[in-house]
Amino acid sequence: MTQPLLEVRDLSKHFPVRKGLLGRETAAVRAVDGVSLTLAPGETLGLVGESGCGKSTLVKTLLFLDPPTGGEIRFAGEPVTAVDAARLHRHVQIVFQDPYTSLPPRMRVAEIISDPLRIHGIGDRHSVERRVRSLMQEVGLNPERGNDYPFQFSGGQRQRIGIARALAIEPSLLLLDEAVSALDVSVQAQVLNLLRDVQERRELTYIFISHDLGVVRYMSDRIAVMYLGKIVEQGPAAELYERPLHPYTRALVSAVPSLRRRGQRIRLAGEPPKPTDPPPGCTFHPRCPMARPICSYQAPPLKEWLPGRLAACHFALEGLPPAGAIDVGKGAA
Amino acid sequence: MPPSIPVSSTESGVVAETTVLSPEASVSAQENVVAFETATKATPTRWRDFGNYLLARKTALGGLIAFLLIATIALLAPLIAPHDPLQQNLADNFKPPVWEEGGSTNYLLGTDPLGRDLLSRLIYGARYSLTISLSSVLLGTALGFAIGLVSGYFGGLTDTVLMRLGDIQLAFPFVLFAIAVLAVSPERTPAHLILVLSISSWIIYARVVRSRVLSERGKDYALAARALGASRWRVLFRYVVPNVWQIVPLIALLDLGFLVIVESLLSFISLGLSPPTPSWGTILADGRQYMMITPWMAIFPGLAIAMTVLSISLAADGLADFFDPKLVHGKFHRLPLPGPALLPTCEDDAGPLLSIRDLTTIFPTRAGSIEAVRNVSFDLAPGQVLGVVGESGSGKSTLGLSIIQLLDAPGRVAQGEIRFMGRDLARVGNTEMAAIRGAKIGMIFQDPGASLNPVLTVGAQLDETLRQHRKLRPAQARVAARQALAAVHIADPDRVLRAYPFQLSGGMQQRVMIALALASAPALLILDEPTSALDVTTQAQLLDELASLRERLGASMLFISHDIALLSGIADTIAVMYAGQICEIGPRDQVIDSPQHPYTQALLHAVERVTGPGRSRLDTIPGDPPDPTQLPTGCPFAPRCPFSMPVCVEINPAPVVTAPGHSAACHLLVPDPVGSRNGAREALV
Repeated sequence: MTQPLLEVRDLSKHFPVRKGLLGRETAAVRAVDGVSLTLAPGETLGLVGESGCGKSTLVKTLLFLDPPTGGEIRFAGEPVTAVDAARLHRHVQIVFQDPYTSLPPRMRVAEIISDPLRIHGIGDRHSVERRVRSLMQEVGLNPERGNDYPFQFSGGQRQRIGIARALAIEPSLLLLDEAVSALDVSVQAQVLNLLRDVQERRELTYIFISHDLGVVRYMSDRIAVMYLGKIVEQGPAAELYERPLHPYTRALVSAVPSLRRRGQRIRLAGEPPKPTDPPPGCTFHPRCPMARPICSYQAPPLKEWLPGRLAACHFALEGLPPAGAIDVGKGAA
Repeated sequence: MPPSIPVSSTESGVVAETTVLSPEASVSAQENVVAFETATKATPTRWRDFGNYLLARKTALGGLIAFLLIATIALLAPLIAPHDPLQQNLADNFKPPVWEEGGSTNYLLGTDPLGRDLLSRLIYGARYSLTISLSSVLLGTALGFAIGLVSGYFGGLTDTVLMRLGDIQLAFPFVLFAIAVLAVSPERTPAHLILVLSISSWIIYARVVRSRVLSERGKDYALAARALGASRWRVLFRYVVPNVWQIVPLIALLDLGFLVIVESLLSFISLGLSPPTPSWGTILADGRQYMMITPWMAIFPGLAIAMTVLSISLAADGLADFFDPKLVHGKFHRLPLPGPALLPTCEDDAGPLLSIRDLTTIFPTRAGSIEAVRNVSFDLAPGQVLGVVGESGSGKSTLGLSIIQLLDAPGRVAQGEIRFMGRDLARVGNTEMAAIRGAKIGMIFQDPGASLNPVLTVGAQLDETLRQHRKLRPAQARVAARQALAAVHIADPDRVLRAYPFQLSGGMQQRVMIALALASAPALLILDEPTSALDVTTQAQLLDELASLRERLGASMLFISHDIALLSGIADTIAVMYAGQICEIGPRDQVIDSPQHPYTQALLHAVERVTGPGRSRLDTIPGDPPDPTQLPTGCPFAPRCPFSMPVCVEINPAPVVTAPGHSAACHLLVPDPVGSRNGAREALV
């Protein structure tokens, strides 16, 4: 196997909870809690989870926008620290969710796209201009509109501007943080296709973060499911969808509204726990339909149950139908 | 990798963008480079906008003109003033103004006890007053802006030290500070006053700028700039400052008026400019001693101060609205359509609960009226769920608000009927509509956190609703409130009743909203994206809840969503909206299994991928949803439609019934008089 592009080992981001007059540290919110990931060049890792599960914090931590409190990040084999995070910013870029707040409202589009080049001192005035035009063309924007402001564009077009900005310095890894979640369905498909095309053309590696399982499945080679700061399941996209190991993944997959499959949802009890006060043992056990006594005191480790398939559950193989037996979404040809 | 990619290889989005090109975009390559460099073509329109805006606002215009007049007088004082303001002429002291007995044209406003010309002193006074207050504002602004930027952006210890300094200064009495500086100076020049005034005003700017910086630097665009590797100063000056500074001139303008008063006050208590330099405050103080003999000596400087401050306030107030349009609030103002609200019904129980005919809702704007809902008609039977699906801007939310008559001004129903329980909601009076709202029609919005009153407990809010609509006594209301929460499967109603909305999760808040809406047992419930702000698993719980409530209560629902897959799980009938119109409506299974309108087909296709296999290209609807201000004359979907024909661009198709209860508005469905269209029809089927 070739050298991984990105290796994350045991990454943590804990936010201290201070109480009292003196601001003593009484506890910590474990927003990201011991996450390990490996990315091969050119692949797409999907990251799924509900609000508050720590996926956005993970992204910020990976880029040292919020320095991690523990763990190790290696990029192209070299360890990265907070001091040389600038090196990372030369190769890793990010596209945000909200097309309305992720672009500086008072800068012209050409300036927005060219600023990364200026920051890193790439090219002279003329080459920057050429580069901006070709980037705009590549993401499907009319290059004549470089003098316009973001508000003069539709949501989908703004997201294209954000993609062009991220591509400007030719990164090798792109973090897509809910990059299509704010767009209408019809426009979403256009942007997803664009991301696919760009990935193929430039041999990019993606981390695709979303709460929308359908979109993640479409985009990803492998998927990691996050719950309360931890990865609870990881595996190849299609298998993870058809035969989810972790009961949380099973509930998540069944909760997606579908045109063909009505009514048979796995219903989770109760509410997502507060990250300040996670339950002991397996953090999912109070809501888990499969929970047994052991779950309430012993946290299950993330281990490989089937080839390439990891899950953090004591009973991951329980109730798992044989391969090919579940008919999730075969109806749509 | 070479960055030049030919246009032809980019995806379908390009096609869409070319459709919105302005004519000047198709110029040659050389001209394009020029177009890239010209930066300021928007400026003339901006000034014209400003002019029009002022003309529409007489008070702001008046204030601005008055202030400019005063400023001009101050500037040209040496040319205008008839006398030297310091020149004493004891022979002419205590001269009254020219219109009083004994006045002379030589001293238009009279003279003071030393025989100095009052008019000249006032004119020079304007010069000093305005110079001092303007300079103080500029200095205070600059100081406060810089400190606010640094404090807000760098935070930590820097922020703490600077802000505590400001606190100390605010806690220290201003007059004491002024005395400490001014009373000990043997000669008080304008510089002394400017120093005192600007030091006492920086903290306001610093605090406002700091809080703006705090909110801007947390936004995604600032994060994106940091992720690009931009230095802190670059992020601050290139990204944050351009979005922060606008607030400063607005506060500065309001502050200017205040400083004119403070400057006069200091002069009045002999802490102003050393005599004999004229300032409005000192002239006023001089006049006060002779109030009984020569009242005009106090009146004129008073008037000058009042006029100046008033003109500044008026101008500042008007300008604030222009620079920050968010300050202008629309008022809620419902105008029922003329005509009888009572409908000639035959009290037919089998008839629909809600029957809408030809409903059009408009939002008049300066650029013309926007039709957010256009000629919508449908029926909703008792106990049925109608799902309304559409993309952002399709008019689906406006439709819901039109029915419950809660449109934000200036939006209003322009035509059509909303028949509900024998009344026409577009025509009933405001009092009656208020009674129907809540009691007969309930509404639930997307963001439950914003819909609940944040300062009242859930119990208090339920209590109020129950007592108002069901006329219950307090004890009964408490029991009913607990039942209402239990009905939406809240496990411990007592804890939730005592809780404030912020203490509940989003899913729990939305349950409370549903309980509130159902408390009065309405016949119709309008749900506008009730689960869109929630997580999928919570959404699934809530949908189960709504389905079971519907079975138990038998209320009709109008369920608005952008997600057709979600609606397919709960709706009996599905209406697809596009550009304000219903382009297709019919029984759920028919719409989903045999969609008739190309837009519905494309929408379903786009959703299919959620359940379909990955790794192939997605079919896309090219282009963007239409701009509601520029709707095409023909079919609004024609520019994006794969089956578009010449007739589609010219004529907006009327709904065609394709099966019982199923209709769609598309030319392809019209029995075809011309053979040439057959090809397209087959492609569709």
